[in-house]
Amino acid sequence: MNGRTRTIRVETLARVEGEGALTIKLTGDRVTDVKLRIFEPPRFFEAFLKGRHYSEAADIVARICGICPIAYQMSALHAMERALGIRIDPAVRLLRRLFYCGEWIESHALHVYMLHAPDFLGYQDAIQMARDHRAVVEQGLRLKKIGNRVVRLLGGREIHPVSAAVGGFYKTPAKSALRELEEDLQWAIEASLATVKLVAGFEFPDFEQDYEFVALSHPEEYPFNEGRLVSNRGLNIDAAEYEDHFVEQHVKHSNALHSVVRGRGSYLVGPLARFNLNFDRLPALAREAAQAAGLAPPVKNPFRSIVVRAVELVFACVEALRVVREYEPPPKPYTEAAPRSGVGQAITEAPRGILYHRYALDENGLIVTARIVPPTSQNQKRIEEDLREFAAQVAAWPLEEATWKCEQAIRNYDPCISCATHFLRVNVERE
Amino acid sequence: MEHRIIGCGNAARGDDAAGLLVVRQLRAWGADALEHSGEGLSLMESWRGHDAVIVIDAVVTGLAPGAVTVWDGREAPVIRDGGRSTHAFGVAEAVELARVLGRLPARLLIYGIEGRGFDLGSAPSPEVVAAAEHLAQRLFRD
Repeated sequence: MNGRTRTIRVETLARVEGEGALTIKLTGDRVTDVKLRIFEPPRFFEAFLKGRHYSEAADIVARICGICPIAYQMSALHAMERALGIRIDPAVRLLRRLFYCGEWIESHALHVYMLHAPDFLGYQDAIQMARDHRAVVEQGLRLKKIGNRVVRLLGGREIHPVSAAVGGFYKTPAKSALRELEEDLQWAIEASLATVKLVAGFEFPDFEQDYEFVALSHPEEYPFNEGRLVSNRGLNIDAAEYEDHFVEQHVKHSNALHSVVRGRGSYLVGPLARFNLNFDRLPALAREAAQAAGLAPPVKNPFRSIVVRAVELVFACVEALRVVREYEPPPKPYTEAAPRSGVGQAITEAPRGILYHRYALDENGLIVTARIVPPTSQNQKRIEEDLREFAAQVAAWPLEEATWKCEQAIRNYDPCISCATHFLRVNVERE
Repeated sequence: MEHRIIGCGNAARGDDAAGLLVVRQLRAWGADALEHSGEGLSLMESWRGHDAVIVIDAVVTGLAPGAVTVWDGREAPVIRDGGRSTHAFGVAEAVELARVLGRLPARLLIYGIEGRGFDLGSAPSPEVVAAAEHLAQRLFRD
């Protein structure tokens, strides 16, 4: 390439303010610059929440993301419950796990089948892939639909679910309603096992990185709503200590903030982190599927995250079926508490990784301050570092192919651009 | 013919709310219409079983804000102007995937309302609000 400067650029057209772009500068085969701007922190919502009653937060934050509203609701509710000193009924806890399973199934099925698989099978997108792999796409659609069904059953509706409440649910389902999911979930377990087999057969670039993996960890369960925040470098903290250990840094090239572990730097959240730190707490079926797929923790190749997502699909389906079978309705749908001033923090595992919320309430239960740190903003610095390394590997390739590979490297993280707006297109430009 | 009307968008994203504004107006007049996030796969589900479907969404095609473009979803590809969608599976992808899988409704019209600003927390621009109102009237009459 003789020292010629080339630019790989991926950008959104609709967001005229210029957010949401990737630029990689190559000089010859050397990466000279990587700038990623894919996610802006939800500062608008933090401001919007101020002065609102604690009971309103879950419905407001659900609107931050069309793909993972349950995650936002769960982190908000648990933070409020900590601020108010509410202990939830075990049946409510179980229902919330089911709710989260529904969201994981929806989100992972969408990403694995529609967004990520086409990369590995050599198609521009799922539409092209569907022409040759119709059965695969139909399987993904049906899985996604089962996730939707779970969310709709518990949330009242698929988009912006409305039933989750501080202390429980506004309305809890009858035992018989959950039992109706059984057949679908049995099918979903088989389908997700087939998914693991399918994606394990893909070819993965030879690319490993030395990550700090950060995820929740619970003594007995694969984590959703509870546990300590741990890492493979010795982190082991309660949600209340999160802001002592993680800081957000302003980045010159972007309005976004880069989240780092204080004194160390970037870290990775999401499926790889959860899997590596909680492998032994996966149900046996998921563990066996992972082992058969050649996965053993620690998985350090981010391109293999598609296999880990598929393993988590198995987990979510198995867990959902367990809840559906064990559920007995709680004596009352939610536990009430008197308003009081206080601060509550919570971390839950959104499909893309940990989601941190903190709320300070006044004595009337009104929100004084709100803080939300989504998974994609936590992964942003790490994605940029991956790209810096990975772009060097593909720098000598034709520009279009190199661009595609770099997009694929971003997709490893399933970045939640949907949170921002549903327009996103790619431009390739030469300089 | 009885149409299933689906308006897509994000109410917190300025002009991205265009489709939702139309639906809210229609519902205020007592008509049946569905708000949707625009996530493609569940969009495909939401028109299942309906022969005649109208989808309304915000678009950016380079026209003036508030301009309305109509596509016949049964005809040639929708809003895929050479760009590749990488991370989102939206309205255009839903239509094209449904075409491949034979899941398009017998009649599908897509109304695109040209948007200008999509900043988080911003209000829809006056041109888009007016266009949404106008389109709602048109759909209500039909």
